Amino acid sequence: MFQPHSVLWHYLWVAPCVLLAVLALLMWKRGLHKEFPAFFCYAIFEAVGGGTLYAIDLSPSVFSDKVYWWSYLFFLLLEALIKFIVIGEVFTHLLRRYPPLGRFAKVLISGVGIVLVLTATVIAAYANPTPFWLISATRILSRSVSVVQCGLILFLFVFAAHFHLTWGRSVFGVTLGFAVLASVYLGHWALLASWLLGQKTYILDFVIMATYHVCVLIWFYYLLVPQRNAATSAVPLPEHNLELWNRELERLLQQ
Amino acid sequence: MNLAVILVIAAVLALGIILSLAVTRSLQARGSANLAATIRPIDVEAFRNLINPAEDDYLRRRLPPAQFRLVRRARLRAMAAYVQVAGRNATVLARVGESALASGDPRVAEAAQQLVNHALLLRRNSTVALARIYIALAYPNSGFAALRVVDRYEQLSSSAMLLGRLQNPAAAVRLFRS
Repeated sequence: MFQPHSVLWHYLWVAPCVLLAVLALLMWKRGLHKEFPAFFCYAIFEAVGGGTLYAIDLSPSVFSDKVYWWSYLFFLLLEALIKFIVIGEVFTHLLRRYPPLGRFAKVLISGVGIVLVLTATVIAAYANPTPFWLISATRILSRSVSVVQCGLILFLFVFAAHFHLTWGRSVFGVTLGFAVLASVYLGHWALLASWLLGQKTYILDFVIMATYHVCVLIWFYYLLVPQRNAATSAVPLPEHNLELWNRELERLLQQ
Repeated sequence: MNLAVILVIAAVLALGIILSLAVTRSLQARGSANLAATIRPIDVEAFRNLINPAEDDYLRRRLPPAQFRLVRRARLRAMAAYVQVAGRNATVLARVGESALASGDPRVAEAAQQLVNHALLLRRNSTVALARIYIALAYPNSGFAALRVVDRYEQLSSSAMLLGRLQNPAAAVRLFRS
């Protein structure tokens, strides 16, 4: 069951691609592609790219290993770029309702981004070189990208929690899916890049494929299942003394 | 191998933090009733006195250096406590304002938006001020200004007062201690 090319393996590779294609279609129908253009592109890219890689992997007589790994490296590069754009999109959505925090947040995220890129560079410099340079390069690159993405998403959650910012349902869902994916990817690529598991790396493949499947379902749920309309009423404000307030304020302002 | 282990631990920690923050967010969304009751009034007069640079200069002139550092640290800790309460109040008021944003009355909605903006600015300033206070605790001879926190607190108070007046002319929030 947990072997490469088992039924489960095929399912875990194909199902998320199909689900993402369906998600992109439904997003288009509901007009969500205008609200989340980057995530919409990501869904299409993953569906098409994942399907293409699957076809290459299944046709060893047509495509050599080298072709597969080059395709995979190219796919990862594009995927990393699109993911960064999606993170930017989520950040913009989150801050849209809070203009006073805009500049401060941008300065902070730029600083965090610089620190993360430096950290990822240092980590990449400590990589173990192997004779299979293409596979090594893929793993080291993915590990470095994962460090930056996981750090940025973690920062996003901590920032929102610190300021008690309200997430929109869709924005939260997209970010949560990416957060789970980024952290599991980080662990996955860290183990792979260190070549700790030898020939048994396929075990990790199952973990990452299952996680990815769960994340696609999270996106489905948050983007397509409508929010229950809880009766929201304005919070009543407690007892006060307006005169005292005014007196105190005037006294302070005159100081 | 060590690097891989460190990164795996970092990944697990990141996932744990993110999931706990996600759960906290859902719980907060449910339990937002009676928020304003959690506001703690602040003695702004005492706070102003604490952050007055003239007071520090006076103490520096009057006290021996070692004693001045002790007193300065005590004042900084008190200052941090005030700023933390101001930051917490700002958070509560931001949530109060957000809940009032959905109001059908445009005047209330506008006042609520103003309250949210002022509360977030105060929260930002209190974060920066706290960082500076903790740095000053390490170097008590350094001077710094936390005056912007007070200014923001005043703006926040007037916003909260305006919203309270619009929502319920007979009731509103108290941010200052009499």
